[in-house]
Amino acid sequence: MVTTAIKCPNCKTKVTIDAVPGEKIIISCPKCNTKGTFLLPRETLKVQMTNDSSAIQVEGLTKIYNGSKAVDNVSFKVKKGEIFGFLGPNGAGKTTTIKAMLGLILVNSGEIQINGKPISKKGKEAKKFVGYLPEQVAFYDNLTALQNLRFYAEMKDATREECVSLIEEFGLGEAINKKVGKFSKGMVQRLGMARAILGNPPILILDEPSGGLDPRGVVLIRNKIRELKNNGATIFVSSHILSEIQEVCDRVGIIDKGALVAQDTVSELSQKLKLKPRITLELEKMSDKVEKAVNQVKGVESIEIVGNKIEILCDPKIKAKVIVAIENAGGNIINLQIKEPSLEEVFMKYTEE
Amino acid sequence: MFSTILISIAKKEVLDNIRNKWIILITILFASLTLLVSYAGSLFSEGWQDLQVTVGGMSALVQILISIIGLMLGYAAIVGEVERGSMGSLLSMPTERLEILLGKLIGLGSVLTITILIGFGIAGIVIGWNVPDVNYGEYLIFIGASILIGLVFLSIGLFLSCIFKKRSTAMGGAIFVWFLFSIIWQFIMVAIIIATGVIENFESISIPDWYFGLQTINPLQSYSMLVSINVGTAPNQQDIGSVLGYPSFINNELLITVLILWIIVCISIAIWRFNKKDI
Repeated sequence: MVTTAIKCPNCKTKVTIDAVPGEKIIISCPKCNTKGTFLLPRETLKVQMTNDSSAIQVEGLTKIYNGSKAVDNVSFKVKKGEIFGFLGPNGAGKTTTIKAMLGLILVNSGEIQINGKPISKKGKEAKKFVGYLPEQVAFYDNLTALQNLRFYAEMKDATREECVSLIEEFGLGEAINKKVGKFSKGMVQRLGMARAILGNPPILILDEPSGGLDPRGVVLIRNKIRELKNNGATIFVSSHILSEIQEVCDRVGIIDKGALVAQDTVSELSQKLKLKPRITLELEKMSDKVEKAVNQVKGVESIEIVGNKIEILCDPKIKAKVIVAIENAGGNIINLQIKEPSLEEVFMKYTEE
Repeated sequence: MFSTILISIAKKEVLDNIRNKWIILITILFASLTLLVSYAGSLFSEGWQDLQVTVGGMSALVQILISIIGLMLGYAAIVGEVERGSMGSLLSMPTERLEILLGKLIGLGSVLTITILIGFGIAGIVIGWNVPDVNYGEYLIFIGASILIGLVFLSIGLFLSCIFKKRSTAMGGAIFVWFLFSIIWQFIMVAIIIATGVIENFESISIPDWYFGLQTINPLQSYSMLVSINVGTAPNQQDIGSVLGYPSFINNELLITVLILWIIVCISIAIWRFNKKDI
């Protein structure tokens, strides 16, 4: 519970309130009786992080199952405060890596540190910094949403009020006293996300956070991820929905057949792969002169003309030259779209057979 | 923090069993069986029997029931959570595997203890009202021994839960253990006696001391001997010692030590296996 003072928007009187971070409360001004809701911002980084710049450090991780390498010498670092997307085809080793990061499996070799604490030796201390959303979210079916969260809250030093506030935040307020066994998949996923951020951990490990969610739920989780990042949290997220990863992640790592094949920002990776942006222009009138002019620009890879639209695949550095060439050839541009190489293209290139 | 997590897990196990009515069901079962044995269990007399006679009649029933209950409570405790997926989330909390296992042992052990205490306690009070000069001391020893044997089978259940990868295999293991100690064991012992040529003449049976030593390996036999030595009446038919007399080394200290050793060994192996288990 935190005590704070806010000003009444109507009469500017100071009102002192007691609330739990993240809790929405209804207040009325003692002077002018104006009523309103107030959301106390969540306290971030409840557990003190060390000054080291890496929140997660994985070094030479190898895990062998029945003689075959599920994860082979994987190394990466996740900087504090960044969102790191972890991608890979099915069976590439994503979940194995995540399980190793949490000490759920014994590794054959390698070292994993969470906020500077080795998970193999100081697992309990390391896990104090972490909130985890597993791929298959599971709860105790015979307990209610609140009873389930309270059970985990005891281990994370979180209060009952925090549990209630999180359940409401994830749109499960009406089902707070309903047994989780009667929840839909999407509701379980939302509750799983609430459990992951219980106790405000500074590091979040999310395995397929959008799994089983309806579009509204997907937006809710995406916004939550952004909010947590803005509050300073480090987020490690594994997902199959590449567009989402591209939208929220600062950097990505791509794992294929147990090996980490790439890690960087999406734009850096597409540059490394020499992937080209796609320019789509809509002209008032298409002419041969325009087509000829574009073809003469050095660095243009391909042109496709459909009606008054021209789609050009070219070197990223000559985008401006192409546009100038079209205008000089008398092409009157009425619409312009530049599509940078997508994460999907990067992913497909790195994981192709 | 160690104790907080341990208590949280133990508390959840107790509440879980209250919610799914297990505690209530077993308590009613214990109380009604004890009263039934006391009131209608004797062929030689009518009406309420005193606690000593009741315990004699109950001993064999307890061996069957408490061993099953202990195994049922324990066999799915770890592997069930792993299979359901909730173990991963539990282990992602600031916990250690040792805390989880001990928390479950304490929680489920409490469930077992509460049911035995309340079930047998209620029955003891009812019998006490109806029978004069009841020896509660012996009845308390019976209750204590029953709790101990329950904890032994709970530990065996937890051990099975940690060594098997599937809940169904662990259940198979639990069924085998129960058959081994409840039924097959006697055949093995008879086979050993016959094979070693100890019994040549059935008119004058003399059982060697090593036979009793061997019997103590079976926790159900240790329990039976413990009850028989301390309460001493209405011998279990499987227990030859209660008829012929036990060798001097079969005493409370040895039998209690054997039962406690079962708990320690099972839990130690369970912890070792659980620590090496991939979730």
